[in-house]
Amino acid sequence: MRGGSSYFLMGDVVRAILSFLGLSLLLTSGVAAQQATRTQPVTGIRDNGTGFHALVGARVVTAPGQVLDDATVVIRNGLIQSVGRNTEAPAGARVWDLTGHTIYPGFIDAHADLGMDAVPEGGDVGPTHWNPQVRAWFSTTRNLQDDPERRAALRSQGFGTALVVPTEGIFRGTASVVNLGDAGVRDRVLRSDLVQAVGFQRSFSLGGAYPNSSMGTIALIKQTFMDTDWYMRAWGAYEDSGRAFLPPETSEALAALADAVQGNQPIVFETGSEEEYLRAYKLAAEYGVDAWYRGSGEEYRIIDVLRGRTDPLIIPLSFSDAPDVDDPESALNASLADLRDWYLAPTSPAQLADAGIRFAITSSGLSSLNEFLPNLRIAVARGLSTSDALAALTTTPAALLGLENTHGTIEEGRVANLVVSEGDLFTEEATVRDVWVHGRAYEVTRPPEIDPRGTWLITSDDEWGFEAELRLEGPLNRLRGSIDVAGPDGASIDLASAEVVAETGRIEVRFDGEDLGYEGVALLAGSVRGEEFYGWTSLPNGANPSFRGSRTEAFEGATRGTVAMNVPEIDLPFIRPMMEYGVSAIPEQPAAVVVRNATVWSQGPLGLMENADLLIQAGTIVAVGPDLDAPRGAIEIDATGKHVTPGLIDPHIHSGVSSVNESGFAIVPEVQMGDVVTHNNIWMYRQLAGGLTTAHIKHGSANPIGGENVFVKMRWGSLPEDLKLEGAPRTVKFALGENPKRRQGRYPDTRMGTQEIIRDHFLAARDYEREWQRWEANGEGIPPRRDLRMEAILDILNQELLISSHGYRADEFLALVRLAEEFGFRVQTLQHGVEAYKIAPELAASGVAAVVWSDWGAFKLEAYDATVYNARILIEAGVVTSLHSDNNEIASRMNWEAGKLLRTGLTPEQALSTVTNGSAKAVAIDARVGSLEAGKDGDFVIWSGNPLSQFTRAEQTWVDGRRYFSLEEDAAMRVQIDRERTQLIQAILSVGENDDEDEDRGRRRRPGRN
Amino acid sequence: MTTTTTMTKRGVMTGYLSRAGGVSALTLAVAIAAAAAPLLSPTSVSAQVRMTVPPQSEPVALRGATIHTVTNGVIENGTILFENGVIIAVGTDVEIPAGARVVDVSGKHIYPGLIDAYSTVGISEIGAVDVSSDVNELGDFNPNIRAEIAVNAESRHIGTSRSAGVLVTLTTPGGGLISGMSSAMSLEGWDWEEMSMKSAAALNVNWPNPNPRRGRGRGFGQGRGGPPQGPPPTYAEQVEKLKNFFAEARAYRDAAAAGEQTRTDSRYIAMIPAINAEIPVVVSADGAAQINDAITWAQEEGLRLVIRGGRDAIHVADRLVANDIPLIITSTMAAPGRQYEGYDGAYSMPARLHEAGVKFAISGGSGTLYTNRLPWEAGVAVAFGLPEEEALKAVTINAAEFMGISDMVGSLEPGKQATLLITTGTPLDMTSDIEQTYIQGREIDMMDIQKFFFQKYMQKVLQNRRIVS
Repeated sequence: MRGGSSYFLMGDVVRAILSFLGLSLLLTSGVAAQQATRTQPVTGIRDNGTGFHALVGARVVTAPGQVLDDATVVIRNGLIQSVGRNTEAPAGARVWDLTGHTIYPGFIDAHADLGMDAVPEGGDVGPTHWNPQVRAWFSTTRNLQDDPERRAALRSQGFGTALVVPTEGIFRGTASVVNLGDAGVRDRVLRSDLVQAVGFQRSFSLGGAYPNSSMGTIALIKQTFMDTDWYMRAWGAYEDSGRAFLPPETSEALAALADAVQGNQPIVFETGSEEEYLRAYKLAAEYGVDAWYRGSGEEYRIIDVLRGRTDPLIIPLSFSDAPDVDDPESALNASLADLRDWYLAPTSPAQLADAGIRFAITSSGLSSLNEFLPNLRIAVARGLSTSDALAALTTTPAALLGLENTHGTIEEGRVANLVVSEGDLFTEEATVRDVWVHGRAYEVTRPPEIDPRGTWLITSDDEWGFEAELRLEGPLNRLRGSIDVAGPDGASIDLASAEVVAETGRIEVRFDGEDLGYEGVALLAGSVRGEEFYGWTSLPNGANPSFRGSRTEAFEGATRGTVAMNVPEIDLPFIRPMMEYGVSAIPEQPAAVVVRNATVWSQGPLGLMENADLLIQAGTIVAVGPDLDAPRGAIEIDATGKHVTPGLIDPHIHSGVSSVNESGFAIVPEVQMGDVVTHNNIWMYRQLAGGLTTAHIKHGSANPIGGENVFVKMRWGSLPEDLKLEGAPRTVKFALGENPKRRQGRYPDTRMGTQEIIRDHFLAARDYEREWQRWEANGEGIPPRRDLRMEAILDILNQELLISSHGYRADEFLALVRLAEEFGFRVQTLQHGVEAYKIAPELAASGVAAVVWSDWGAFKLEAYDATVYNARILIEAGVVTSLHSDNNEIASRMNWEAGKLLRTGLTPEQALSTVTNGSAKAVAIDARVGSLEAGKDGDFVIWSGNPLSQFTRAEQTWVDGRRYFSLEEDAAMRVQIDRERTQLIQAILSVGENDDEDEDRGRRRRPGRN
Repeated sequence: MTTTTTMTKRGVMTGYLSRAGGVSALTLAVAIAAAAAPLLSPTSVSAQVRMTVPPQSEPVALRGATIHTVTNGVIENGTILFENGVIIAVGTDVEIPAGARVVDVSGKHIYPGLIDAYSTVGISEIGAVDVSSDVNELGDFNPNIRAEIAVNAESRHIGTSRSAGVLVTLTTPGGGLISGMSSAMSLEGWDWEEMSMKSAAALNVNWPNPNPRRGRGRGFGQGRGGPPQGPPPTYAEQVEKLKNFFAEARAYRDAAAAGEQTRTDSRYIAMIPAINAEIPVVVSADGAAQINDAITWAQEEGLRLVIRGGRDAIHVADRLVANDIPLIITSTMAAPGRQYEGYDGAYSMPARLHEAGVKFAISGGSGTLYTNRLPWEAGVAVAFGLPEEEALKAVTINAAEFMGISDMVGSLEPGKQATLLITTGTPLDMTSDIEQTYIQGREIDMMDIQKFFFQKYMQKVLQNRRIVS
């Protein structure tokens, strides 16, 4: 995830210390006067300040884009009574002279973490939910706790109001809108339990085995949505019956989700990446929930997707630290993906605004809250207008949270939530002076009341006396300067540090004593009063001469630093995926393409043809044969001397998904790999480069019955949904042998147990089916619940979800084949099948296809009887046979895997069939891919020579009649990648120099700050 | 085992085991089933388990082949004569002594046996079965470990490696900072003692990594509150340990030479040939900084350095060339090291190093269990620009020279061992077959476990087919 450890702006130190020591001061009192609407009796003497204030002289930004200079804001009883220019402070109001300051509407955080949902020791109690990660019953209102430090920290960044979102679990509970003042808990809630919160990462601390994967999490979310629906109906049936039978189970979590599932309460999805956003969106659409999205900071990667969407979007200012490029080898290790992320993530807010996408900005998603304002300024420096920035912190979240009539602007009658800043918070390194919440002022920082900048002549008459000229310059929060010591041993020394201590009006300076003949550091401190300066020094020799000084010259310059674009403008075109070899658009699909004069391995009835042509129109193969007529305008490719084969197919890989195994249960067919496909997968490009065009992404092998697999085509540059092979059969992963039985403490522990748990679930699914049938016939009692797991198993039994089973040994495979036969269906494929050759006749008889390796074996005990002749024996026995990789890397060279079979006596076409037509047939996608035949997809590879030779390489790879890979384009992209990497590494180095306080500085540089 | 006099007579499975050619494999199999059923009886199958053959007992002349000597060019229609396991003559005009067995290998090719400079054949049997592995000894410093004595002569990987043309391995321990001694093994013999060509051929050092790369976490994490991880030892600490061990070894040697009474230390004793530069010190190093630091160190120590791994060696190419430091490339058939590198980053590395003038061998390092893939490791480099003869050198003479065994193997020259392949073409490409091998003049039984399973279970297919039909 994003972010490093916390860091401070020099100028933030004071504020941070104040905030985190809990030293935030309540400056006013008085709005507790509304006794008639409070239930708690007053103990002791009542506290009744007037609550009547006039803030005068400030620049007031009343709403995004609207500014009143030198205006007066009058506050009374927590509300804004008036705001305007040329308004006198009303008599009786406490007057705050804020000349030179800026007032903004109080910020609203639409996704704040107040840290109030820590898991109780021993876990949650009561009838909540069987899964500890489902905490939808948790209410931030009911659990609102006094947490002054956290609130003060949020206030220090300008926030007065927040949607407090719980953070633990997958279903996390309800978020409430609270004000961030220090009033009692009953006075802080503005909107109770407004939205349900859901996230895609589980909490380790909550425990529970399931889910432990991305797809398991999504399966749990789906099942929970459906269970909620059932829960309402079940209880309804029970009540309607007059409680004539035993009640259904009690689940506070499901009860709490009822509104959300019915679309009456929003769900805010916290997403940690662009992929999670895409998944949340799909899930929300599928289940018809009213979704809000907490973004990830990766919005710049999906601007095209977000454009036009109006669902509430709340983005964090989560910007990556720069990759370490401080030495050549570190720089060598910096990926373009990381470099681009460093440069581009800060432009996400501006890009969203430019695309007309409305968004709120949250303080969440940062490793430290102190990053918030600095990162906000970076976003502004990188193109976000200050009015868009302010809107994202005020009017947009106000409208989202239903506070648009009370919050978000400075207007008469609005709640007096204000941010008082000593300068422009968005463009200058200005600190927040006060935050007003419901008419009460909370001090955040006090700017230094002295300005020590200028030239001082200081003299000391002590024994170690001296005369020196001290120069202090630069913005107040980044003072720098030098000291010139007069006399024969004198020297001019740059100050190591200089800072103003705000509360005391003192200036503290350090410098190296070496040039004065002292080994060590000299300290100098003094109190400034007007143009006079009194202080003492601490010299490395232990002497402490005192001195006095007077200012001989003032320093003219801005009192605080401004924030500006500090990185070079680099033209980084939008690419997808946002990494090496990403493309600006997927390749065009020509109306017609004809490949001429090649050796064509049709892998179909036409066999292997010399000097043949291949014609593809609109992505589909039209003809294969000699001297084809091509339509006018067809793209002609001369492939004389080349070989052309169908695009290669790998029926077993695990790349391109966010997780591989859901091992929380032994039986998990409800989880779907299709839910977690990711396009951010460099392997897809490399596999294309090796001629692969279609792959079957498998669930892992941790379970006797694993999850549902997914077929993808190598459409590099597409989003996950567009990668999927349309109309592909549904398949499910089974696993036998060592892997599923080695999970400690989870049944099964033996091959026998593996067989039995599968059988038991087959039986359970039949029972489930009968329960439904019974209920549908008579409608009596509690309606059955829809169970995604049981439904998936029924699909297996009905051969709608085809079994693709991992396994090695002959015995376990034979047992599964027989088990399927017992239930009247057929296993589609055995995968790995190191010993498949031992039961080749049985597989042929049962119609089971074999997906095996060429020469991989002996990496574990059950793989010891591997033989490269496996495929040969299977083919001789009449088994449909394919090779597979089960490995990112090998998937990128499947032609050579097939080539290894030549030495077993297979013909070249037979050998190639194990990565083309045989593969397609094995996994039942042969209607579309696997051979060069009219009507099939235009997926093909042009090879430099015999594709089965170790000396051959792929020159072009086409998918759907689009050229996704060619050696020429590859070469051009490498040049572009090198250029971008060089530019970005230089950009990091150019930023780093002024930010070197930190030992870990290389990792901290941010593009866009001063 | 009877010796055979022609290629075609060898074994009963010749047609069956080799390329089916124009005939459909199925037809062929059925034909064999019908015509040769008695020969495929279970008895004949069990007799086919790999047999160790006796030492060469009579001179052998292989005649009529294209001989790829590696060091002295290619000889068309040549003859190679060997006796008592040693090559007597190679050429077109070889005098064949009386009593020699002459084998006509017209149309075939003869290559030296391939050498895997970095292998675990014999000391690692099944990957995930820890007890079947003797690769990694405990502790940081194990120079006294010698791989040879743990080599299992019955390992299944020996047969499959030989079938792929790999006839000599530098079987090498791993682990720690000093892993132990590679042993040069010829892949034929009744036991390790008979197989061993050189007991302590090279000392192996694992250079620490100053730039461990951190992955960028995406996907599904440990979740909130996951367990933390402790810091690893630093680079400087590890390098210091290594330097100190060499200093102690040198002090031990010098004290012993000076006649000082010292307690014996088997580790330092084992180090002496290495610090005296009598045997190579093979340093595993992939990063440029690793390689640079290893070179600086080895030069200070006066070692005979060989770098193994060398993924970023191209960035240190000038120095490798200037100092004549050879490289054993462990991963040509591998993923690119970094996302921005070309998909062929590893495939094309040998070609780029060759252009830069670096001397290298290629090992079968893409998987410790897969010495049989050594030819593909070299072949892929040819697909991506390395001249074929250079690829061949990388798995023959270069490996032999770097590891100090080129007096015995690595090329077809008089005086060297008759360890060679008879093939239908280059052994680096799967489109050709390796038909027969000789190791130290012994005509090798070409059976291996994979062919054995093939023969046995083809029986099942054929029996079943008879029942069905």
